Amino acid sequence: MSDKGDNRGVSRRTVLKAAGVAAAAGILQSPYVRAAKRELRLLHDQTTAESIKAMRDAAALYEKERGVKVIVDSVPSEELYPRILAGIRGGRPYDLTSIIFVAHMVSLAKEGQLVPVTSLINKYKWGKRILFPLDGVHYYFPWAYALCWLYYRKDLYAQLKLEPATNWNQYLENARKCMTTGASRRYGHTTPIGSNVATNWMTFGFMWAQGVTLFKDDWSLAINEPQVRKEAAAYLDFMSELYKVMPPGATQFGFASAMQQFGADQAAHAPYSGRMIEYLEQKAPNLADKYGIIPYPNSTGQRKAVNHGYKGILVYKTDMAEESMRFLEWWQEGPYIDFLHSAPLNYQPARLDIYDDPRWKADPLIKKHAEAVKTMRAFLSDDKLIIRSIDTEGPAPDLRPSKVFQSNVLAEMIQNRLLKNTPADACVDEAVTRMRQIIA
Amino acid sequence: MKMTTHIATKLSKRSRRALFGRTGIALAIAAIAAWSFFPIYWMLLSALRKQSDLFSAPTLWPRNLTLDSFRNLLNLTDYPTQFRNSLIVATSVVIITLVISVVVAYVLTRFRVRGKSFIVAGILYAYMFPPMLLAIPLYGFFVALGIADSLLGLIIAHCTLTLPLAIWLLWGFFKSMPFELEEAARVDGCTRLGSFLRVVLPLSVPGIITAGVFTFLLSWTDYVYALVMITSDEHKTLPLGIASMIGSFELRWGEAMAGATLIVLPLFVMFVFLSRFFIQGMSAGAVKG
Amino acid sequence: MKSRHDWVIWIGFAAGLVLTFGLIVLPVLNGVWLSMHSAESFIATPHWVGFANYIKLFGNAEFWRATLNGVVYALVSVVLQLVLGVGFALVLNKSFPFRGIIRGLSILPYLLPTVVVGVTFQWMTDGSFGVITALTRSLGLGDIPWFESPSAAMASVILVSVWLWTPFVTVSCLAGMQSIPQALYEAAKVDGASNWSQFWHVTLPQLMHILSVVVLLRAIWMFNKFDIIWLLTKGGPLGATQTLPVLAYNKAFNLFDVGGGAAVATLGFILLSGIVAIYFRLTSEDRGK
Repeated sequence: MSDKGDNRGVSRRTVLKAAGVAAAAGILQSPYVRAAKRELRLLHDQTTAESIKAMRDAAALYEKERGVKVIVDSVPSEELYPRILAGIRGGRPYDLTSIIFVAHMVSLAKEGQLVPVTSLINKYKWGKRILFPLDGVHYYFPWAYALCWLYYRKDLYAQLKLEPATNWNQYLENARKCMTTGASRRYGHTTPIGSNVATNWMTFGFMWAQGVTLFKDDWSLAINEPQVRKEAAAYLDFMSELYKVMPPGATQFGFASAMQQFGADQAAHAPYSGRMIEYLEQKAPNLADKYGIIPYPNSTGQRKAVNHGYKGILVYKTDMAEESMRFLEWWQEGPYIDFLHSAPLNYQPARLDIYDDPRWKADPLIKKHAEAVKTMRAFLSDDKLIIRSIDTEGPAPDLRPSKVFQSNVLAEMIQNRLLKNTPADACVDEAVTRMRQIIA
Repeated sequence: MKMTTHIATKLSKRSRRALFGRTGIALAIAAIAAWSFFPIYWMLLSALRKQSDLFSAPTLWPRNLTLDSFRNLLNLTDYPTQFRNSLIVATSVVIITLVISVVVAYVLTRFRVRGKSFIVAGILYAYMFPPMLLAIPLYGFFVALGIADSLLGLIIAHCTLTLPLAIWLLWGFFKSMPFELEEAARVDGCTRLGSFLRVVLPLSVPGIITAGVFTFLLSWTDYVYALVMITSDEHKTLPLGIASMIGSFELRWGEAMAGATLIVLPLFVMFVFLSRFFIQGMSAGAVKG
Repeated sequence: MKSRHDWVIWIGFAAGLVLTFGLIVLPVLNGVWLSMHSAESFIATPHWVGFANYIKLFGNAEFWRATLNGVVYALVSVVLQLVLGVGFALVLNKSFPFRGIIRGLSILPYLLPTVVVGVTFQWMTDGSFGVITALTRSLGLGDIPWFESPSAAMASVILVSVWLWTPFVTVSCLAGMQSIPQALYEAAKVDGASNWSQFWHVTLPQLMHILSVVVLLRAIWMFNKFDIIWLLTKGGPLGATQTLPVLAYNKAFNLFDVGGGAAVATLGFILLSGIVAIYFRLTSEDRGK
């Protein structure tokens, strides 16, 4: 009885073949070959179909004009930083990536992974609070603001004879009056309260307007001061009133919920950036001309705020660094505007000259919503408007406020007050204690 | 109601219990079916709904059905590419895992191996480390080999998930297979390898299919490893693709449900045909301690 | 009794074993090494800190709460999966029309990628558009706080996990039940045993072996589960659903504390190993008797 050793032999051969292929692939991926092939690798986090297309079009154009291939990868924003790290750790870093959080930039710069973009920054004029230099050196090249403000229903206000709110009581009143009951009820306001980025971005506008800050110039906790604690507690009590006019399930709300609920007439007020308008145009066109914009008011009517947000690009210290800088420069001169047009109202330009650029202004949505664009532009030059975000608190770009952001201390402070009904002072107490632990 | 109780009192205690028992079973079956299937039904229905209907009051029964969500899914996303990638990875993982685990499991049960219990325990330990922190060192290791961000790297990573389970399943399976059949073949002049190929393998098809099905599932539904290993759009697998859709700013519920539906449908079909083998294999391979 | 070409089998075995362990043990060792260092990210240079990370964890209430959450989550999930799984298997073992289809339906949840299930569940329980929300409102039950309170969130996560993975228990039991000799049931019936008595005295003891392995595997997997919790609640609200894997991920990727994250993962691993060791001790004692 002969033994059928053939089966074993075949699998051995295939294994060897596979190993050979793997080795060959490895050689092809090596940096020498890459440089010889002149390839740029770019990673960005704008995952809408339009933005991906705009970026890929720019890549194709660059290859045509300069002869360098640009490979574009996209990833959802939450996975951006782990993806960047995995690339670096695995020996295949990207040459250019988008970035959101300043702390990530700080961390990467500290590890010597980034290339300064100061020369390019100095070419342009920029809006408020959008540059994040480390000891005078710029690594963060901002390409858009992502400010968050409040939307309200102009038609409901006209119907119910309401005025845009300038203080908390008025805001609550307006929200309450807009509520309806029945099978498809409308709530007064919607905002996320879960421990996530959406909450950090959309829910603290009222707190900033009230004058709360987190860090003093020496990095001690400003929120620990008795006066600031009082304001934070007042904010919490206001939120617990606002919670009563919000739809259920707020711990699960993310970015999209606000747009969906506002667009489906399930919430009369909602926070967002310009993307809300684009959403309405696409999914709820009957409301596309019925919205109004206000900044977050404070309790007395004397202050207002928008929540800060920003999107940037980093250039990495790879062997293609020079080419990356050239690409960035080239991109900023023209294709950048096409990219902005992939979400013309959401991508609020950080470069002030863009606002006067006829190419940018020629977009149909920008033309149609010129009022809104004017308001958005005005935010940047309004000296009385507070623009803050959790992770940009403090005197300089640093990891500490980012730790506060990522640990969701403030979101949990809200949850404590709203879900467990803990008295506001105790909530603030706990938040301050936790913040101390986190930044220790 | 009155009629049934009237009849019930006439029946003897045992047959009454039997009647209630049977209705009870019928209810239980309905409950099991509803519990298991309703969320899937809802997912299917949502995928077929008109976009505007999705955001108004939901109705249990379909009204306006369209294929819009599916169209958007296939046009606007890389779904077809992701499907192909998932398929390639999963089938490769199944083949590699089965080949290796059959050999290892067979040797563990038939040969005298030193430290056998140590190896078996070790297999279990392989499961106890959280996958997230395993993934990053693995990725670094793959780059050294030049196979990072490739389906091959993902295939190997998935094998770390599937090999322990497959070896475990087949080990139990082989253990419960009697020696006599192979002995008979050996007496007839076969080598051990021959008896393995001619006698053991054909008999262990149910067990192999079982291990294969579990392996396929583990690979097909993996999210964590794909998240770390795959960085480029062209190599994304389905779970990654759906997660990206759900990503931050756009919750396209309709398209997400459509994508989910397309994943489930072929799996269900495959399962309807293989469930017989599946259960058979599990019974033969039932691990007896 | 050696024979020709045995060496082929041995090489296959050795290769398979080396691959299996190499791909698992090396990253594990790397993870443990990381836990003795402090690093802000995966690209920062790690600084040796010895056991400082561990000492910090032992004094940290959040760590102990995460451990407790993990135990609660694993325990309750497994118990429910067991009860439901065995119950389903009993029902599905009977003969009734369309049994194959119903069995297929009951196994369906297990096939779905976690991402899909997480999103579908969130879609169904959405406060504004969810079908379950609409259902409970129309039934007069109002709005169920799925994730609005710490305990409710844990319950919801457990519910989804049970829905997802009960089929594993069901199938294992069904398989085991196939191999229970009919004679045992006949004997019990002759002795006048009721249905419940038959289950308790015949079915259950015969299933013990399978169930003990199933329970072990499920407990290990539940304790290490990351993606379903992350997708549904990210460990919130207020850390109510933060188990050790979620804490490890948070530390390593969000809180710039890679060493701490690795330490959490290692401690979870040690805890689990201890429990498994005890399990083996108990079952081998059983066998010895």
